[in-house]
Amino acid sequence: MLLKFIKNRDFILFTIIFVILVAVGISNPNFVTLKSISDVLTDTSILIILALSQMIVILIRAIDLSVASNLALSGMLISLLSQIYPDLPLIFFILLSCGIGTVLGLFNGFVIAVLKVPFIVTTLGTLSIYRGLIYFVSDGKQVYSHEFSDSFLSFIHVKFLSMTSLFWFAVCVFIIIYILLNYTKFGRNLYALGGNPEAAKYIGINENRYIIAAYALSGFFAGLCGYLWVARYSVASTQIAIGFELTVISACVVGGISVMGGLGTVIGCLLGALLIGLIRNALPAIDISQFWQLAISGAIILIAIIINTKTEQRREKNIMTEKD
Amino acid sequence: MNNIPLTPPKNILNIFYKKEFILFLVLILLIIFNSQISPYFLDLYNLIDSTFLFSEKAIIALSMTFVIIARQIDLSVASIIAVSSCVLGYTTSIGLPTFYVISLTLLSGGVCGAFNGFIITRYAIPSIIVTIGTMSLFRGLAYSFLEDQYYNKFPDIVVKLGSDYLFGYIPYAFLTFIILTLCFAFVLHKTIIGKRIFAIGNNPDAAKYTGINVDKYTFVLFTMNGIFSALASIFLSGRLSSVRPNIAFGWELQIITMVVLGGVYIYGGSGSILGVFISIIILGMLSFGLGLLNVPGVGIIIFTGLLLIISIGLPSFIKYFRNQNE
Amino acid sequence: MKLEIANISKSFPGIKALNNVNLNLKQNSVHGLIGENGAGKSTLVKILCGVYQPEEGKIKINQKEVNLYNPKESLRFGISAIHQESVMFDELTVMENIFIGNHIIKKINFIDWNQMAQKSDEVLATLETNIKSSDIVKNLSVAQRHIVQISRSLVQDADIVIMDEPTAALSQTEIKELYKIITNLQKQNKSIIFISHKLDEILEICDEFTVLRDGEVVSTDLISKTSKSELISNMVGRQINQIFPKKKVEIGNEIFVAENLFKKTQFKDISFNLKHKEILGFYGLIGSGRTEIMKTIFGINKFDSGKLFFNDQHIHIKKPLDAISQGIVYLSEERQNLGLTGTMSVKDNLNLAMLEKNSNYMIVDELKNLTTAQKYKDKLNIKVSYWNQLAQNLSGGNQQKTVIGKWLATEPKIIILDEPTKGIDVGSKSAVHEFMGELVNEGMSIIMISAELPEIMGMCDRVAVVYKGLIKRILDVSKTSSEEILSYASGE
Repeated sequence: MLLKFIKNRDFILFTIIFVILVAVGISNPNFVTLKSISDVLTDTSILIILALSQMIVILIRAIDLSVASNLALSGMLISLLSQIYPDLPLIFFILLSCGIGTVLGLFNGFVIAVLKVPFIVTTLGTLSIYRGLIYFVSDGKQVYSHEFSDSFLSFIHVKFLSMTSLFWFAVCVFIIIYILLNYTKFGRNLYALGGNPEAAKYIGINENRYIIAAYALSGFFAGLCGYLWVARYSVASTQIAIGFELTVISACVVGGISVMGGLGTVIGCLLGALLIGLIRNALPAIDISQFWQLAISGAIILIAIIINTKTEQRREKNIMTEKD
Repeated sequence: MNNIPLTPPKNILNIFYKKEFILFLVLILLIIFNSQISPYFLDLYNLIDSTFLFSEKAIIALSMTFVIIARQIDLSVASIIAVSSCVLGYTTSIGLPTFYVISLTLLSGGVCGAFNGFIITRYAIPSIIVTIGTMSLFRGLAYSFLEDQYYNKFPDIVVKLGSDYLFGYIPYAFLTFIILTLCFAFVLHKTIIGKRIFAIGNNPDAAKYTGINVDKYTFVLFTMNGIFSALASIFLSGRLSSVRPNIAFGWELQIITMVVLGGVYIYGGSGSILGVFISIIILGMLSFGLGLLNVPGVGIIIFTGLLLIISIGLPSFIKYFRNQNE
Repeated sequence: MKLEIANISKSFPGIKALNNVNLNLKQNSVHGLIGENGAGKSTLVKILCGVYQPEEGKIKINQKEVNLYNPKESLRFGISAIHQESVMFDELTVMENIFIGNHIIKKINFIDWNQMAQKSDEVLATLETNIKSSDIVKNLSVAQRHIVQISRSLVQDADIVIMDEPTAALSQTEIKELYKIITNLQKQNKSIIFISHKLDEILEICDEFTVLRDGEVVSTDLISKTSKSELISNMVGRQINQIFPKKKVEIGNEIFVAENLFKKTQFKDISFNLKHKEILGFYGLIGSGRTEIMKTIFGINKFDSGKLFFNDQHIHIKKPLDAISQGIVYLSEERQNLGLTGTMSVKDNLNLAMLEKNSNYMIVDELKNLTTAQKYKDKLNIKVSYWNQLAQNLSGGNQQKTVIGKWLATEPKIIILDEPTKGIDVGSKSAVHEFMGELVNEGMSIIMISAELPEIMGMCDRVAVVYKGLIKRILDVSKTSSEEILSYASGE
């Protein structure tokens, strides 16, 4: 029965998304055109990728607060490189960005797992260290759109089956992470490690290895998004994605990923990200000023967390059944 | 019936292991280093002026120390500053008497803090997540209220408190910080309130079973954090004399750094006000010194992040290498 | 010889847990490992499971020496354990718990869910249980969780199965089922180490036995060559009647009454009374609800309906502080987790429930603190070198004493003890019992939750037998027998 309920939870999210679409559509019919929805999906793609990779970390009872800074730093580094060597193949930049992100993630993992610095302290620290490094490498200057090669910027706008390749990146990442978390030992062990760290030790799960791997993965995808963000907005600067880590975490929380670890579905996470992304796009569509965005996001996070907690509550073990 | 001593046999070497002593050494080294680097460092007036940059954060750090020792964390403090400075500016702009302006400002901080405390205790949600949410909610409210405007008119006393000196020497903000340090130290280390906070942070379940009302203490600590954030916002607004919704952006990180660097364990249960005090001075001098060297603000931020990680990671790092060699 | 443990020794700071232990497990046999709490059984199990490494000694499996340096290695050699504290993942399904760490893989390293579900169903069927592969573990009862653990051992194709107190929470019927399973396992060529302190079970199901006492092997032989009383005296090293010092106390009038306490899914119709200077036992299997009842009386949880009376006055307890001010205190079974604040000093721990009384207008009165701490340190003989020593650095027994001291300092009238001698070394056990006698002599009344019949029979005046949230009977200890108590506790 409980399994049905969990499926229901994702269903509830889906319904909310549907309801919002309808509600906004009534007030602003342009919002529900194919083009508009496709724009929303494209706009939300980066958030989806980051939320799914953040989920890996949250599953093992940790958080990665440095993803936005990681993203920005990786993006800036490849942008600077592309200024100097604009003719390098695009795939090179993408892989390099992922690589840089992974290194930054590995640093987090090492500090947390080996040096035993608590994850809050570590990722709060790297959040500012990485952000600060952007200034150093760029001298505070921005890299503007005209300074990128055409191939660099245009690729994500290329359409396959009438959806941008940015969207397809998100689809690929979703498939990869879905398989990872549901069909591999590594993924299932993440659930075990987060659900009962003491017991996981007895099963032979090496906690340190999993911590390092989780943060490396989070960093990898942050690096990927570094390229995607810069290409999408056609600018690399010290300011990009500031505060975005909070949006990412709220997408996960709304999606039902428990911060206590060991609980949460990939589909739920996807729906959480879609919901947050939808709201961000829906507000301007119904003429709510952008200044309300932050407050509304905050309110949604809180409401989602409270609802989560009420459904998650660890029930006391039943000693007698209700009928007794 | 042998009476045992309070502390281990007096061994001068023991003092070297105390965190506070190490911090003190670091401070001395820093002062020496800085004075070699720049002739302007040891100038008394410069030093006094340098306190303006950290006094407001320092006040919040004191209250945050209690929160962290109690095994909680509050990431929304900077956003509470935003809300209270809005209240400060607004109440001034509609012409309310100064007494009401200040009371309402402090009250707004208290309400924000109480909101945090309520959600955390009523729904038993980890404070890190709740305050990530309220961090956005509160600052968002400030943005939606102010939009892209700003306030620049505040009561005279506020401006005086934020930027003026007592007897021409001692900045009011720094003085308040010193007085509060003594108060907080007294409460934490000499009263039963402090003992209970340590107990809660060390083992909330055991504390509950001992009859301590953990929820009540948690609620009060968050409310207090809100009030002190509002107090800091009064000093800050007086100093800046212009308040936008992005005020104090990123301050929560710096405040937490002050506390954790001071030897307070992030998972609660141990720490001292003395340690936090020394760490605040260290960080203040560091910023000041780096500033004299014309290191840009961002360099200081990177340095602070590294310092935070190193200060906690270094003991483990040394142990790691020792283990490798065995 | 399937498994040979030779000359194993293991120490921890301050304690030699195992000293030159030898044990031989024959193929297909059920070998009973017996010993009091603290004798070294669980240390030995942890070494076999690769969690601890011995300082000295060898382990041989199938005559070849092995080095079990981590749990994975131990699994590889076919050793599987069913622990008391279940190694379970509550949010995952039964199937996943059975296969955790051991998933069935298809070609490219992907998990084969279909095969796993099939195998899981198969193994559950052989155990004749109504648990489904898709059930979520957090909804299962304690007995059912045991079955999941056994299933896990079965699919791991373990040759050596260690069962650590497997019957602790099972009813008589469930125990009979377990015996069937064990016989089944023997037929499948498995060798079993069966740990239990219930000697009747050992005598019934085991082929051989080894007795540990204070970390050393005291005797080992075939079961057929020994008797229950011989086992007991080997375990304990002294005559039975020396363990529970008889105390003569005049029991007074009724001082506390619980009337019809009810809490949905936890307990029902709980009514009992406690007399002045009485020791009232609460006996039942693990999971029967005794702790839940006491936690509610102490104010940790609320009950749905019912009344409490103290000295004929109706009292309301909504939080622990209410109970404490009435003079009712509760010593939890989880002494470390729920009783001690480890990073605070011993002095502070002893004073933790007395903070208000030992203060002036909220300011800590150091002198009063020291006086209180000194008084109870002496009374309980707590070994501590200086007051600021952190409580977590004391030995287990001294930590227990500190927690008791904290409560005694409040000068309570009723003390609820939840498994007070669980995990305590044999020497201190009787000291605790003697101490309980002193307490009632001084005028306190005790409610003692215990899962050890000898302790109940020896210490209590009356015993309330609990089964699945109901009090089956309240018996006068002098007029009943272990068998009668046990049968009520098992639901009959």
